Amino acid sequence: MNHVAVVDLGYGDAGKGTVVDWLCATRPVHTVVRFNGGAQAAHNVVLRDGRHHTFAQFGAGTFHPGVGTHLSRHVVVDPLALAAEADHLATVGVRDALDRLTVDGDALLATPYHRAANRAREIARGADRHGSCGLGVGEAVAYGLAHPDDAPRVADCHHPALLRRRLAALRDRLTAELGPLDAPPIEDCLPAFTGFAGRVAIVDGDWLGGALRTGTCVFEGAQGVLLDEWHGFHPYTTWSTTTFANVDGLLAEAGRPGDVTRIGVLRLVTTRHGPGPLVTEDPGLPLADPHNPTNPWQGRFRFGHFDAVAHRYALAAAGGVDGLALTHLDLAGPDLRICRRYDTTDRLTPGPPGDLNRQAALTARLLRSRPVYDDEPQDWPAAVSEELDTPVVLTSQGPTADDKAPHGPLLAPPALARTA
Amino acid sequence: MGSGIWSTDVYDAADRYRRSTGRSAFSYSDSGARTVHPALDPKDATRESRDSDEHPRSTPVAVLFDVTGSMRTVPRVLQTKLPQLLGLLQRQGYASDPQIMFGAIGDATCDRVPLQVGQFESDNRMDDDLGRIVLEGGGGGQMSESYELAMYFMARHTATDNWEKRGRRGYLFIIGDELAYQRVKAREVAGLIGDDLAEDVPLRQVVDEVTHRWDTYYLLPAGSHYAGNAKVLDFWRDLLGQNAVVLDDLDAVCETIALTIGLGEQAIDLDEGLRDLDRAGSGVTGTVSKALARLGRERRAEVSTLPAFTDTVGGVTRL
Repeated sequence: MNHVAVVDLGYGDAGKGTVVDWLCATRPVHTVVRFNGGAQAAHNVVLRDGRHHTFAQFGAGTFHPGVGTHLSRHVVVDPLALAAEADHLATVGVRDALDRLTVDGDALLATPYHRAANRAREIARGADRHGSCGLGVGEAVAYGLAHPDDAPRVADCHHPALLRRRLAALRDRLTAELGPLDAPPIEDCLPAFTGFAGRVAIVDGDWLGGALRTGTCVFEGAQGVLLDEWHGFHPYTTWSTTTFANVDGLLAEAGRPGDVTRIGVLRLVTTRHGPGPLVTEDPGLPLADPHNPTNPWQGRFRFGHFDAVAHRYALAAAGGVDGLALTHLDLAGPDLRICRRYDTTDRLTPGPPGDLNRQAALTARLLRSRPVYDDEPQDWPAAVSEELDTPVVLTSQGPTADDKAPHGPLLAPPALARTA
Repeated sequence: MGSGIWSTDVYDAADRYRRSTGRSAFSYSDSGARTVHPALDPKDATRESRDSDEHPRSTPVAVLFDVTGSMRTVPRVLQTKLPQLLGLLQRQGYASDPQIMFGAIGDATCDRVPLQVGQFESDNRMDDDLGRIVLEGGGGGQMSESYELAMYFMARHTATDNWEKRGRRGYLFIIGDELAYQRVKAREVAGLIGDDLAEDVPLRQVVDEVTHRWDTYYLLPAGSHYAGNAKVLDFWRDLLGQNAVVLDDLDAVCETIALTIGLGEQAIDLDEGLRDLDRAGSGVTGTVSKALARLGRERRAEVSTLPAFTDTVGGVTRL
């Protein structure tokens, strides 16, 4: 069995977490590798006994004993949120999550200063919010691009004097730009960051190569391809590469290019949390999501009919997948329809990354587009498979690993399948 | 896409990392400590379980286990299992607002740390107490440990809103494998707990006192030295009746305690509880079923009615 990469072909919330949990429940997995995003991820996993955890920085396979989490250098690491998440995992029976965690020392840190700046900017946008989560992830990426040699990174937590200098420079630059920030003094931040370094294994870039040689790794994406920094609908995007690009890069560096099965996750209902285009949005759909309540940063959770046009675009932007995982099949019913084309177009084609003007024009076009619906498919997996010209290899009828079924050999559990 | 689910408070995070370091073992004991940790010292101490805005109807649960040598590896297994107890109780809703206290029992005739008692906590702070317990590993070889001292402490040095406001007993679980001494010795009480007793207190009286306010269970686990020894079981059956429970798989300790509480709170009957365990994919349903078969047949009766007793009036013997 080679490695598996799980990417969301929508706007997020399609069920990557539950797919990763199922993969770890049905085969021996060495490590779940996070390759983008940061603490703003929210991957919900529910166990048979009702235990529930919203995975943000820990891999969604953490409920399975022995499965590690690796935060690669593409993740923006938030040690403060990580401590709280580990504590919650302990209350649901996972007491060694921090012991099973490795973090690449080159990864950027999200700090209270990034967070405060993120919120100040988003508030200043007023009604034109971008849908940021207010955790400073994008802010940390932006600062890292502007000051690559001076941005606080995970390995700095081992060196308090260096970290103090970098935090001070960060705070001073952001304050000069935005005015006073609502964030604690540097001296108060240091114990949290050095405590993190004392507790968690900080490794270098070679670590992942060893893990990939030792056992099956699952690459867990955050957000969705339609929110990608280059392929998403600008400006309603995330500062993160949500396609397989980072996975491909990490595998190539480890000398294993292409050694991965690519899975795209889709939900029977196309959803979006935060502003931006959602062409098939239908507030009349009688749906609610228990894990995505309305929040002050993104507003309410939005539901739409299955938007095959947008998902085809995401599939092309991601460079194709080996198989699709289709979740929430239990929602199938006469209320749900499928949109195969818009009134203005049948097909959206991604361009090469880097042209935000083109993406902004695409966004404007989508905001004018109206969906054209066909009747509810009798066989959803067949309809989705045909529309995206890709086999559906996993279906999900409910929140737990037990509610999933593989189709065909691609994800069939090996003979030595473990039980959850 | 998600949102800020987990706290990013910088002070909170520093504290969480501090607490998580060394939480994974009996770090205090393993670092060589051979005296009671100040947080667990029963000297002049009272342990309280109180209601709060967040936990308006607290249910106190005390788990005290024997840490002498005859228990072999049992304390270390308990240390890995017991932190799950709170989550289990909360998830299943068997008891309102559970507050859990951990403690340890040794032998006052020969041990340096014969009694250790933590505080009632409704969050992970109880784990810290588990990590501070000193493992004696000795024991006297006379097949007796100082359980009577632990029961004395529970009877006279605990205060709970559950009792004072609602007249409801808390839950006390003693996990061990030997007999208790026949008397609570005034000299030992003076030295360890600080009370000035005129004379020794007979074991039977202490059992009466503690069971008046605490629904008291004795769990005799597999893997300990005298497990299955009829003399030990008969001894505790004589004192506690059906509340002396044999546990043939230590992995089931949390589930056994949780179901016992669920039965006591009349939140479930035994069959429902076993179905809950099955649904949860627990592999220990058989063990729990066997251990609790006697309890399941007979629900606990409430012993007092509101208003709860106050001091020495009303015909209630002040303990």
